[in-house]
Amino acid sequence: MKRDTFHRVWVAALAAALAAGCPDDMPPSPGSGGPESMRILSLTPNVTEILFAMGLGDRVVGRSNYCTVPPEALKVPAVGDTLSINLEKVISLKPTLALVVTKRPEIATTLEGLGIPTVRLKCDTMPELMETIQAIGRETHTGEASATLSAWIRESLEAVRRRVQGRTRPKVLVAFPMTVGSAQMMVAGRGTFIDELIGVAGGENAYPAVAEWPTVTPAKVIAMAPDVVIINAVGGDAAPDRVQAIQRAWQQWATVPAVRKARVHVLTAPFLTIPGPRVGMAAECLADLIHPDAARQEDTTRSAEP
Amino acid sequence: MKTRPLTVRRYVLGIFGWAAVWLAVSAVAVVLGAENIWAWTSPGDVRTVLTLRLYLVLTAGAVGAALALSGLALQALLRNPLADPYVLGVSGGASLGVIVASLWLTTIAAPLFGFVGALGTVGLVYAIAQRRGRLEPYTLLLSGVILNAFYGAAIMLVTALVSPERRGDIAYWMMGSISTFDPRWSLVAVVGVLAVAVAVLFACLAKGFNLVAVGEDTAGALGVPVERLRRVTFVAASLVTGASVALAGPIGFVGLICPHVLRMVLGPDHRRLVPATVFFGASLLVVADLATRLLEGVGGQTPPVGVLTAMAGVPFFIYLLRTRWRRKTEIR
Repeated sequence: MKRDTFHRVWVAALAAALAAGCPDDMPPSPGSGGPESMRILSLTPNVTEILFAMGLGDRVVGRSNYCTVPPEALKVPAVGDTLSINLEKVISLKPTLALVVTKRPEIATTLEGLGIPTVRLKCDTMPELMETIQAIGRETHTGEASATLSAWIRESLEAVRRRVQGRTRPKVLVAFPMTVGSAQMMVAGRGTFIDELIGVAGGENAYPAVAEWPTVTPAKVIAMAPDVVIINAVGGDAAPDRVQAIQRAWQQWATVPAVRKARVHVLTAPFLTIPGPRVGMAAECLADLIHPDAARQEDTTRSAEP
Repeated sequence: MKTRPLTVRRYVLGIFGWAAVWLAVSAVAVVLGAENIWAWTSPGDVRTVLTLRLYLVLTAGAVGAALALSGLALQALLRNPLADPYVLGVSGGASLGVIVASLWLTTIAAPLFGFVGALGTVGLVYAIAQRRGRLEPYTLLLSGVILNAFYGAAIMLVTALVSPERRGDIAYWMMGSISTFDPRWSLVAVVGVLAVAVAVLFACLAKGFNLVAVGEDTAGALGVPVERLRRVTFVAASLVTGASVALAGPIGFVGLICPHVLRMVLGPDHRRLVPATVFFGASLLVVADLATRLLEGVGGQTPPVGVLTAMAGVPFFIYLLRTRWRRKTEIR
């Protein structure tokens, strides 16, 4: 049910951005040197998502194996992942612009070495996401679409902020299950993207230090005493039996306030940790769990439509 | 096996013959690949892809030659048919050195640390396995096994300490792969030059290898400075192994397969084996790399070449264990 709603919202966003992104000259005039002749290689899921949301989906000629959102992206040929890219395929696609968000600088230098103009993007925090969207708008000469998308994202985050305004901030721990049964998990440290979303959704990160997805033991979790625990189970972990196993595993730690108050939630939405167009939805999801009594303002997303 | 006596003419012809095999294999490996570039219209794109493939072919050639030479020398000097830089933990030691260097120092230091790791391991294996100046074959292999286990644990420790993104990188690198990512032509040149230099050195030492393979006492009695030969060989083998691991990660079993296949064809004379090993090792890894690229074209994902060589090498190891080992014919 929930996922259905998300999808509808996404499509609405896409439609809105599409409408804004391609104003008058809908039939592209080939060879005019503008965005029409642009051939974009996008090697990161969130950038691909942003491109589609900005109405540039038909300019994307190559994607990474992980770029599976929106479903239309699956029609674009995949060229590999961050560990191994089929460079021959990349060359055959004749990209005129490569958008790379990566902590491996060699990818950008390799693409540049092949004569492909490459833009390095940083997209780990909310301000960086906004900058990325702006940069994509600049590089693809679609400043208007990028401004629309940024405004929409800002507005959707603002709606969540308004919803939880003035409420006490419970301590929230957002974690990735490592393996079920293993005693360790990865949690969102301060300064991560999820940390910002927790703030927007009216919570306070239970993990006290600035860190990038540190691995913690149950003892540490008990010491942090989170009021709400949100486990993001994606991929193989999202299977119903895995979700149940994760829930069961948490029941052992009854001293954790979140366990006592039955506030351990397993969230299977795959977009929670993706700094892309759906951050507003991610914040909304978190707010639902952190402040279940704060009613969603209906039509927040629709009101943001231009 | 009956072989005709080795003359200078046959020696030179042999070198050219094996070089021709390598060149032919390399040419095929440049022509074929993941994409059918011969149907492309843009000559610029074709040229770019050909350059990429040339890089792969040269890298595979240099690494293959280096590992095969290293295997040949270790088998001769340790008098053990199952010696191979991968099996004895030499590649493992080099890997640990390379990982440590590239994580906490600069990548330029990686080949040097690889060399230190490799040389340290050869020294350790040798020290553990020798008793009263004799090498015990079982102890030799077991010390390789146990050092591999130690390096495996140390690399896992490093992996656990670094960031999640780096974890993926290390895991993939440990599989051994030849990649066009971040082409390092200079390192390829270094490994290539080292392989050629070590091949020339081993060619000069080939007579000594032959005598040591028969028996250390015999060799000593015939005036071969066994200890010095061993030291020079170990350093040279570690040098090429360390540099090739820095370039392509630990690729296993090339050093085991090549010398044995060639012994089956050419007999036990190292004067013939050394030049043949250089080109055959190079050709074998070029073919293995080509296979991974063709699989990429079919399946969309590249299997690391080290996985391929290990899958081919393990059955070969078992075969050697069941045949050569039983007959105690050493490396004949």
